[in-house]
Amino acid sequence: MGKTRARPQLSNNNYSITKKMYKQTDGSVHRSGDRTSPISVILVSSGSRGNKLLFRYPFQRVPEGASSLATKQRSPYALNPTGDVLEDQDGDSRFSDIILATILATKSDMCGKKFELKIDNIRFVGHPTLLQTPHTIQVSKTDPSPKREMPTMILFSVVFALRANADPSVIGCMHNLSRRIAIALQHEERRCQYLTREAKLMLAVQDEVTAMTENENSPQSPFRQILPKCKLAWDLKEAYDSLCTTGIVRLHINNWLEVSFCLPHKIHHVGGNHIAPEALERCLKAIRPYHALLLLENEKAVLGQMPLDCSPALVRLIKTCSAVKNLQQLAQDADLALLQVFQISAHLVYWGKAIIIYPLCENNVYMLSPHASICLYSSLAEQFSQQFPGNDLPSMLAKFSLPISLSEFRNPLDAPVQEVQLIQMVVWLLQRRLLIQLHTYVCLLVPPGQDEPGPWDEEPPLVACVGGRSLSTPSALSFGSPTSSDDMTLTSPSMDNSSAELLPGTDSPLNRRMTETLLASLTEHERQAILSVPAAQNPEDLRMFARLLHYFRGHHHLEEIMYNENMRRSQLKMLFDKFRSVLVITNHEDPVISIFQSPLE
Amino acid sequence: MGSNCRIECIFFSEFHPTLGPKITFQVPEEYISRELFDTVQVYIITKPELQNKLITVTTMDKKLIGCPVCIEHKKYSRNALLFNLGFVCDAQAKTCALEPIVKKLSGYLTTLELETGFISNEESKQKLVPIMSTLLEDLNAKGACTLPIDESNTIHLKLIEQRKDPQIVQEYDVPVFTESKDHFIKSQWDLTTQQIFPYIDGFRHIQKISAEADVELNLVRIAVQNLLYYGVVTLVSIFQYSNVYCTTPKIQNLIDDKPIQEQCLAYVTKPGQKRASLRDVFQLYCGLSPGTTVRDLCSRYAQQLQRVDERKLVQFGLMKGLIRRLQKYPVKVVRDERSRPPRLYTGCHSYDEICCKTGILH
Repeated sequence: MGKTRARPQLSNNNYSITKKMYKQTDGSVHRSGDRTSPISVILVSSGSRGNKLLFRYPFQRVPEGASSLATKQRSPYALNPTGDVLEDQDGDSRFSDIILATILATKSDMCGKKFELKIDNIRFVGHPTLLQTPHTIQVSKTDPSPKREMPTMILFSVVFALRANADPSVIGCMHNLSRRIAIALQHEERRCQYLTREAKLMLAVQDEVTAMTENENSPQSPFRQILPKCKLAWDLKEAYDSLCTTGIVRLHINNWLEVSFCLPHKIHHVGGNHIAPEALERCLKAIRPYHALLLLENEKAVLGQMPLDCSPALVRLIKTCSAVKNLQQLAQDADLALLQVFQISAHLVYWGKAIIIYPLCENNVYMLSPHASICLYSSLAEQFSQQFPGNDLPSMLAKFSLPISLSEFRNPLDAPVQEVQLIQMVVWLLQRRLLIQLHTYVCLLVPPGQDEPGPWDEEPPLVACVGGRSLSTPSALSFGSPTSSDDMTLTSPSMDNSSAELLPGTDSPLNRRMTETLLASLTEHERQAILSVPAAQNPEDLRMFARLLHYFRGHHHLEEIMYNENMRRSQLKMLFDKFRSVLVITNHEDPVISIFQSPLE
Repeated sequence: MGSNCRIECIFFSEFHPTLGPKITFQVPEEYISRELFDTVQVYIITKPELQNKLITVTTMDKKLIGCPVCIEHKKYSRNALLFNLGFVCDAQAKTCALEPIVKKLSGYLTTLELETGFISNEESKQKLVPIMSTLLEDLNAKGACTLPIDESNTIHLKLIEQRKDPQIVQEYDVPVFTESKDHFIKSQWDLTTQQIFPYIDGFRHIQKISAEADVELNLVRIAVQNLLYYGVVTLVSIFQYSNVYCTTPKIQNLIDDKPIQEQCLAYVTKPGQKRASLRDVFQLYCGLSPGTTVRDLCSRYAQQLQRVDERKLVQFGLMKGLIRRLQKYPVKVVRDERSRPPRLYTGCHSYDEICCKTGILH
């Protein structure tokens, strides 16, 4: 065993900085992975036999007896080498079974609520559940029948031990899982006393092993013996292992009730950072009918992971979805309501089976994601060469160094087979979160007047009420017909749009009044600037500009305007060009959808 | 001072030889109800295994933080004195900053008891109440508390804000002050930081600072990492006219957020010139796109750049995350049997890094 020189402990900050100086950035992936993994899972109960620790996983490490004797013989001046390890202070093993039973099996008035206890750098979270109400026990106490002798369980709790610096959202998720397991166990207990039976088994094995240990003086973990005999113990071990690896837990309590759970922090993991659940929620709320659902694995694989009794709508959706079809079309093809499609898509995204993209079409512009791993030796590079022999990932990614549209990317002189393969490669890259899509955003910014002193005169126009269109998801059904490719035909204008009253072609007083109303929300200076643009002399163009005014705040991209207003890309581009002296165009990724590729810090 | 760790109550609990665990004092009075204490008493006056550990329990919308102490001695009835001085906060509050204070207080009280019998003596125990009131007021108001216990002892406590760990600083990173350099009081910092301070101008990278200030490279990295931790500097990338940048979605903040707008226009305007217009600045930022170098931007937007300093423009954009730098990563793809596997051309090291490390020109 090598000698390690103990480094003197400076104040916490300096020590951690020095240590991190020489650590590779990859180390941070493991650290953040640890923060989202539980340290252990513990099952405790409280009943007529007192507080008991029924099961605990992982088992305690090497028995303390032998090593503690050795340390006592060392010189009192020797520094403790184990104190040097700052990282994996798995303090869970410092707690004996008895003390855990005392602190985790709470009083009955803490039941039915979140239980959170932090001791030094371990945080315990659980959901203590009452099995019987206290007064029934009192009744049985006065009952003189011999049945009273049977030990009864009053409450139990499935507790997860986490690192103290775990994210609050992780703590919330673990509590959720604890509660779900508790509900299932409570149900099974009421139905067939499942928990009592398992508990009896666990305690019997524990007593057996304790007796054996006293005789033979070779300490063993009783929990190791429980594992093969007890289904519940096995389930808890499964849950723990899944939480530490994939983040997807699927248990069958008593082979009957299913408990399923996923930890978003493990599933949605990009470049060393996890995507915050709040960002995920925001993204799910922002799904629009013109978005598409992209499965992260092939259809068969995803279907294979669905439980046997999943809804047929889900199966139909998975079978019909594709990278080129938007959700509205998907709803029509799968014969489902749009709202249902949104819900199922959100569900698939949450469970990490799919992501939201803008449907593939020629005019899409893609670029390398800032978090893409371009290392020559990454596992992705290997997978790519296996999937597409003869091509290597870095060369492919180099093509996307600068933004490139799909039409530029394809070579029309290539054989159609090669073209198909190119599209497949792009889909592969999207699935592995290597590409982001850039959209065009427009902002109204008029040049300042000569005599006006400063920026405070350029108040952002109040466009809250113009158009009155709410772009939230459930009302998506009222929008005009969508398009996935750029092939648009002008259909009748959508409802609740102020432009519906603008009759095309004529310069009626009605139209002029509408245009004036729309422009009235701007400051005088802005209105003047707009009207002084040569194109404003054309009433059609001015009307179109006024109608689209509320999109020019930089929050809506070109494709969204196209979808909402039923317009062609060429029409919009021409309009932007005509009014370029008062507009500024910028290109960047959609902040809501791009969280899958580049979570904003 | 952290506004979300307001202390609602400070309590002193001990194990009475006849009555058992009870709350002896609490400030303000009657804050902790009987039921609350009954529920959590097992975590306040604990078994021996949990003593001297920082315990935080959350229940009934309240969070209790305490550190149970046990002093064993024959002079006490039951041969041991068990007590716990703790704080009560709202269940949603973030209390990490309070933990070191609770620990420190338990240490102070232990020492006082061992030296002068402060707690076991009924008279001196009464002094705890004014101490606890002062603590409560000062910590909530100022985040710090200094109070004398008796003629010779004073307690010093301070709430330290918990910050995120800083990233590793590389030799090709450029530190830039987040606030004006004049706010920086040199004498409060260590010697290394004082020595490199004049060389941090937002354009020199770490390697250059190390060379010019004559300080070893790793020391400069640690010093700058320390400054990064306290939010005094942020890191941007080296500025060159051949650099390529592109906008991020955060560019919207320049339109939506008035304070950032003001800050930006003040920062990027050339000194002595009239304030640049928002439209010009925004156009310049939007002109930064992949495929356009800064040099190209300067020639294309010469008119807008009359009043704007392009170096400061880029600097501000990077500091606030409005733009990001596109780094080039060389990857050696074709390999024959005889050549060694690439060390630097693996796609993990950018041009900046390779140039810094090997001294090759860009």
